[in-house]
Amino acid sequence: MKIVAAKKILKANDQLASENRAEFAREGVLCVNLVGSPGCGKTTLLEAVFAQLAPTLSPSVIEGDIAGQVDAERMERIGIPVVQINTDGMCHLEASMIAAAAQGIDLKNVDMLWIENVGNLVCTAGYDLGEHLRIVVLSTAEGDDKLIKYPAIFQRSDALVITKTDLLPYLNFDVAQARAGMQRLAPEARVFEVSATTGHGVAELVQWLVEKQAAARD
Amino acid sequence: MSIVQALLEQVQSEVERAGHPGRVVALHLVIGRLSGVHVDAIRFGFDVLSSDSIAAGAALYIECPKARCHCAACGGEREIDEIVIGCPDCGSAAITIRGGQELLLQSIELEE
Repeated sequence: MKIVAAKKILKANDQLASENRAEFAREGVLCVNLVGSPGCGKTTLLEAVFAQLAPTLSPSVIEGDIAGQVDAERMERIGIPVVQINTDGMCHLEASMIAAAAQGIDLKNVDMLWIENVGNLVCTAGYDLGEHLRIVVLSTAEGDDKLIKYPAIFQRSDALVITKTDLLPYLNFDVAQARAGMQRLAPEARVFEVSATTGHGVAELVQWLVEKQAAARD
Repeated sequence: MSIVQALLEQVQSEVERAGHPGRVVALHLVIGRLSGVHVDAIRFGFDVLSSDSIAAGAALYIECPKARCHCAACGGEREIDEIVIGCPDCGSAAITIRGGQELLLQSIELEE
């Protein structure tokens, strides 16, 4: 006997993700999924962005790491409401984990929920977490060929943030090449060049986020 | 591994819903060539995880369809088996890609 299912294997994740997204929208919270390799500068970028978001917007964060509380402690130090998820070996976050972690955030009192995903350019591409925006971070130290080598995550993102631009004089990273690659993979996506260390480009990124949050609220 | 876990949970739920007492003898999956999912990894994960599940001992059949790439610039239509950033014929970025990204549990075969 044959049961014809014809169902997406990740249907359960997709359904939960949709529920997450609707819940965040109901509370007027813009949810952003921040992805990128380990060490590309996701947490440092958040610190730089949050310094300029205040007092206009109140962010909160769900931190995803295999182990440890390192990133959650950094968020606590700057007074950001945070929940840390430890995946104990899983290389990406899933919608069910976000649903559980979001219980620890007072959504009524924040404007944004950032999800700092596990450092990973591969598996994170396949899991909708319920975000409204997905931002992929690529540092100048990683090379401009990552868009060719890991196309899916770039194709499925709403913005690319090129970080550590202060290191450009010491590296072979071709910014024009990276921009052209992103244009081909995701023509609607924005590209930002940022140095969290010097502050270069942060204001432009913050401006875009403020616009996105305002549009989501309406 | 987590995709295989999701698959096994799905199989469990489908079989319970059908209310058929027979053993699961085969699963038919569709994994598109552009899905980013590696068939070998799924087979490996299935070998490891299925023994404790309702699908223990079942055969795993996997169909891997290609995608179709249509180019608005040259009018070309081509089957592709990996992500492209431009038309394989003329290089234009004005392409639409259909199919090839499936990750489906197509059907479950139960013992009569």
